[in-house]
Amino acid sequence: MNPNSTVQKAGKRYFVLLILGLFLACLIMSLPVYTFTVGVYTKKSSNTFVGNEKYKEALAEVEQTADEYRSQGLAVEISETVTERTNSKGETTSLVAFTISQTLKKNVWAFLPSSLPSAWVLRILTAGMAAALILAAAGCRGSFSTEIKTLDPGLRRMRGLSCLFLLLDLILVPVFILLNNYLFWRRHSLFQGDLLTDGKEEWYRVLDGFLFQGKMGEDAADALKNLSAEHSPLLWVLLFCFLLALAGAAGLRFGALQKPFLRGALYLFVIVICVITLYPYYVMLITAFRSNAEALDMYFLHLLPTKWVWQNLSDIVQRGVPQFLANSFMVAGGATLLAMLCGIPAAFAMARMNFKGKKFFLGFVIMSQMFSPVVLLIGISQLMTTLNLNDTLWGLIFVNAAFNQAFAIWLLRGTFVAISPEMEQAARIDGCSTMGSLIRILLPMAAPGIVTTLIFVFINAWNEYTISTVLITTASKKPITVGITQFSSFNMIEWQYLFAASLLATIPVVILFMFIEKHLTSGLTSGGVKG
Amino acid sequence: MKKSNGEKWWGPYLWLLPSILLISIFVVFPILIVFRLSFSEISKAGVVGGFVGFKNYIDAVNLPAFATVMKNTFWWVISVVGLSTLLGFIIAMVMNQKFRGRKIARSILIFPWATSLVIQASVWNYIIKYEYGSLNSVLLNLGIIKEAVNWRSSYQIEFIWECAVGIFVTIPFVTFCILSGLQSIDESLYESARVDGAGFWSRLFHITLPLVRPSLSVSTVLNIIYVFNSFPIIYTMTKGAPANKTDTMITYLYMLNFYDRKKGPANALSVIGFLILCLCSGIYMITVMRKEEEA
Repeated sequence: MNPNSTVQKAGKRYFVLLILGLFLACLIMSLPVYTFTVGVYTKKSSNTFVGNEKYKEALAEVEQTADEYRSQGLAVEISETVTERTNSKGETTSLVAFTISQTLKKNVWAFLPSSLPSAWVLRILTAGMAAALILAAAGCRGSFSTEIKTLDPGLRRMRGLSCLFLLLDLILVPVFILLNNYLFWRRHSLFQGDLLTDGKEEWYRVLDGFLFQGKMGEDAADALKNLSAEHSPLLWVLLFCFLLALAGAAGLRFGALQKPFLRGALYLFVIVICVITLYPYYVMLITAFRSNAEALDMYFLHLLPTKWVWQNLSDIVQRGVPQFLANSFMVAGGATLLAMLCGIPAAFAMARMNFKGKKFFLGFVIMSQMFSPVVLLIGISQLMTTLNLNDTLWGLIFVNAAFNQAFAIWLLRGTFVAISPEMEQAARIDGCSTMGSLIRILLPMAAPGIVTTLIFVFINAWNEYTISTVLITTASKKPITVGITQFSSFNMIEWQYLFAASLLATIPVVILFMFIEKHLTSGLTSGGVKG
Repeated sequence: MKKSNGEKWWGPYLWLLPSILLISIFVVFPILIVFRLSFSEISKAGVVGGFVGFKNYIDAVNLPAFATVMKNTFWWVISVVGLSTLLGFIIAMVMNQKFRGRKIARSILIFPWATSLVIQASVWNYIIKYEYGSLNSVLLNLGIIKEAVNWRSSYQIEFIWECAVGIFVTIPFVTFCILSGLQSIDESLYESARVDGAGFWSRLFHITLPLVRPSLSVSTVLNIIYVFNSFPIIYTMTKGAPANKTDTMITYLYMLNFYDRKKGPANALSVIGFLILCLCSGIYMITVMRKEEEA
């Protein structure tokens, strides 16, 4: 079989797939998937009972009006709501309100000429579709039978671009749907309830133009009172059509589908993971700069604070946050220093010397790591009282250093073992003492591992919370993790202050952690225990 | 046992001394204190009386909340460790691929690990608030829900949220441990397997899993210990309310000792927790030692 004909067949198949996908997308966009219901006429009866004369009178009048609408060719429906009320004599009467509502069906294209914000998304979407089609057609001109690898770069670029445009469309469809949802019931109900007043007039004008071709004018606000909008789930099928088209375009571009699709899925997965991971930090950031009223507002519509309240920062400065940060810094710094001073010699002995009980010591160290201070909370607080270290930063320094000893020794030993002892031996022959060779030769060579350990211990001590809550009672001695809890009392939490302080506590350690990430992970699982 | 270059036999022990002292005083000593207190009579003010045998243990087991707390602790450890290991493994597999922006993605992924648990728990506490929580706000504005949802309508659901936050903050640790294991696997193994026609699943089960098993077991056991000891998430989000129904052992013994002043049972619980951890560490030690022998 001629290989060229296989290539040609595959190329044509992808091209048909692309066109089919786009065609289906157009078809779905032409279906009346949006349903709007608008109350065009309301008649309230006087106090009455359902079924009596006044009621029938009002109903007849309403039906007459409805017929008038119908004769104009509008699809209208009559609905009634009954409000029961008791008058001063104790009789129950009803107030009946008749509403004539008009149902408007719109397809997606109807949004195109409107001045709704979502129309912009649709315009880009349509342009993207057209561009994809044109580029794909141009890129395929007379080149169906050419192998992908030998294809002219210009044509290849055109096919690639068409792929790109379809990808853009794939992203825009949900944006369009969500934006419409948001506009049509959320924002509208906020306007209706006067919860949001900025741009209200403008909104009614736009909606009037879109739904009634601007006929309502001044009465638009009235007419739109009962507006509700529904979209059919059919729109989501649109996504699938674009996926189909994308498959075609990707096939044209790459010749095979599996790889680019796996690639796309990979990026999607990574993006989703990153978004979820960053979400709490985003919440923390925006809440830290919102006013108290905004922080407690569910109807907060904006991605960013409407006004950045830098005042929050100066407020927390006055409420002792710099002192907390300084305490944290002292505790973490002190604990790191102490852990390193005790840990480096121990790790050095473990890595370079042979002695009885070496294995026992390793076991001792690893065992000590098993116990987070929390389970020994009571014992530690008792011990601190005995040692007179209760409510002092020194107590925290000692505890943090001790409980990070295991990790420090473990990481350092791994680093030292990985460095060949030859240099030290040479130095020793030249008359250098053990201590001298450690300080002058080994430590500079082990610098990256030492910095990693240093930062890791620092972060652990900085983030420690439980022991500090138990040991520290004086407000001015609290480290930041305990200090921030003063913003959340039982009945009132000052979220904006809490998060502003949290932000200050988080940023430095996150940055530090990013530096050591690479070294740390290899040290944690393998480096430390080998040797 | 004199060394050839004139060092004293006690030389190495001198090098170890500071470390041993530090660990002995601040880790081993509290263990002894807790053990002693658990067998002694203690008043509410903390005055230590005489030896009372296992009375404190019996009191601890007979506490009304004991069964709930143990059950919670079990589910807390199992769900957080299990799910974070599973998810962390999947994420590590993805992060091990080569793609653009991998460095940035890895840096972002490490954020929860570097953040203090109190802060994480506070943020999530805010996110799932009913009245003004960020999750409701975001979903409402996107039009995904039409009415605010009460995300914490019962204590069971609150406990599930606590587990979810626990999983969220634990995933980075697992991911990076497994990632380091994955990176040490020789790419040529996969190549030859592919030549032999091995599919994705058979490569996963016959190459990847056996080779990352050491990292996986180390991370899992460390994880069990961390998660068991985790205090800030539950303490910040519910404080064990209502009536200790969302407490785990650690938060419960804190409450017992420092709020209810039932110091005797609290110490007994401490010892029980300590023994459970000993069991885990025993398993861990065996794993590490075996790995060392292999290496």
